[in-house]
Amino acid sequence: MGHRSQFSVQTLAVLAALCATPSQWRHGYGIARDTGLKSGTLYPVLIRLADRGLVEARWEDEQPAGRPRRHLYRLTAEGLEAAAGALAHAPSSARAPAAVRSERSRRVAARVTP
Amino acid sequence: MNWLARVVVALLRCSAGMLPADRRAWMRALWTEAEEVPAGWRRLAWLLGGLRLTVREATLRHGLGYPVAFTAAAAGTAWSVWSGPPGDSAVTINRADVVTAAVLLAGLPWAIRRVCGPLAGSRPARLLRTGGYAALLTLVLVKAAVERVADAPPNNFEGPARAWTGEVVFLGVMVGYAALILACSARRSPAAPGTVAIGAATGAALGVVAYVLGPLGFPLRFTGLWPASLYDVAMALGALLALCAPALAGLAATRRVDHSRPGVSRMGQGALAGLWTGAAAALVVAVLSTATIALLPYDPGLRHWASSHIGQWTPVVSQWTPIYGSRSYLGYVAGNSAFAAGYLVVLVLGPLFGVALGAWSGWAAGHAGRSSTRPRVLKQVQGRLG
Repeated sequence: MGHRSQFSVQTLAVLAALCATPSQWRHGYGIARDTGLKSGTLYPVLIRLADRGLVEARWEDEQPAGRPRRHLYRLTAEGLEAAAGALAHAPSSARAPAAVRSERSRRVAARVTP
Repeated sequence: MNWLARVVVALLRCSAGMLPADRRAWMRALWTEAEEVPAGWRRLAWLLGGLRLTVREATLRHGLGYPVAFTAAAAGTAWSVWSGPPGDSAVTINRADVVTAAVLLAGLPWAIRRVCGPLAGSRPARLLRTGGYAALLTLVLVKAAVERVADAPPNNFEGPARAWTGEVVFLGVMVGYAALILACSARRSPAAPGTVAIGAATGAALGVVAYVLGPLGFPLRFTGLWPASLYDVAMALGALLALCAPALAGLAATRRVDHSRPGVSRMGQGALAGLWTGAAAALVVAVLSTATIALLPYDPGLRHWASSHIGQWTPVVSQWTPIYGSRSYLGYVAGNSAFAAGYLVVLVLGPLFGVALGAWSGWAAGHAGRSSTRPRVLKQVQGRLG
């Protein structure tokens, strides 16, 4: 009950994307691809999560060749705990990121189609 | 497309200065990641999301949400009212009306803030201020749409002097409503929590009922015994509801009064609940009915419905409205605009009627409460004495 009112569906999708590989640092566009969220929705969610200490952010240490440095995000220990609790109570549709959902629906469609 | 994306990036770089330091890194992250988004519409959409984020963060941080929303709404209203042929007195009146209304509605919050304090932090207060101002701007807009036709030749048979007088009265009424909305949503509001919500909700429901019973401001005409009889019964019930609603809202508000709060009386809260019932009902019915009248020139189906369900006698101007002929829609709007002006009377009398009934119910509730507790107190005193 408490978890359901704590996070929006979009926030749950971001948490699910970050939870998939909790030790890895992710960048914004990668999360956007996984969740299907637009930048105007994704970044406010990331900002609020960072303000609450659930997500930590940093810039890439070294300048990579051929592209600018990325701003990277991952869940903190507190964020991981909160995400696990919230996702356990969330409906399955909110838990699965958009890319996963579309892949799953493609597989189902392939099975159904003769 | 690339040049457009570059323009948006430049805008983002410039507008980042509006953000606090801890937010600028996020904005920089967004536009550097745009490099990884496939070029074209997708990259542009990504960057436009950044602009949205900038506006959102800047308005949140600087408390600009209400001023920005009001400026956008007022500019949209002015833009839609501004069009019209030069030299037309109706257009001149509308332009003066919308500019003056926008200036008054923009300036009032500063004046009310000095007396009643800033906007209260609660969600009902924010909803009241946003919804109230939206209703007032909508009323300015739809009234101007009606008057664009009704005050233009050949319908302006009463001359521009009367139209200007009407505008002054209308603006005065708008100021009164705006002051009421601002004062009751402020931190030092004279209304107890729940009083305004009860009154406004009751009034809005009453306004919708009144609109359904007479969408153009006067009783509908039905042919056939059963439809006519049913409509008469509905009208009688509507009148009864209009009489009872402010009193019931006043009674409900007095029951919620916290007597330990200083300066809060049952009668005062009943009066405020009744005031809000009358004001909300009048505002809702004025907006909805004037909007319906404004649609008459553009909707033949609505005109056809109106011709079969309304009488053509317009008592305010005491003459038959010319609804037939080559310019019949002008006649419709001219006739019905008399009723639109009649809503000005409703907007004035509705709150007065509501405050009287609400105060009476609050006083009656307080009196009944005292009467019921008196014997118990007397018994206690007598018991102690003897």
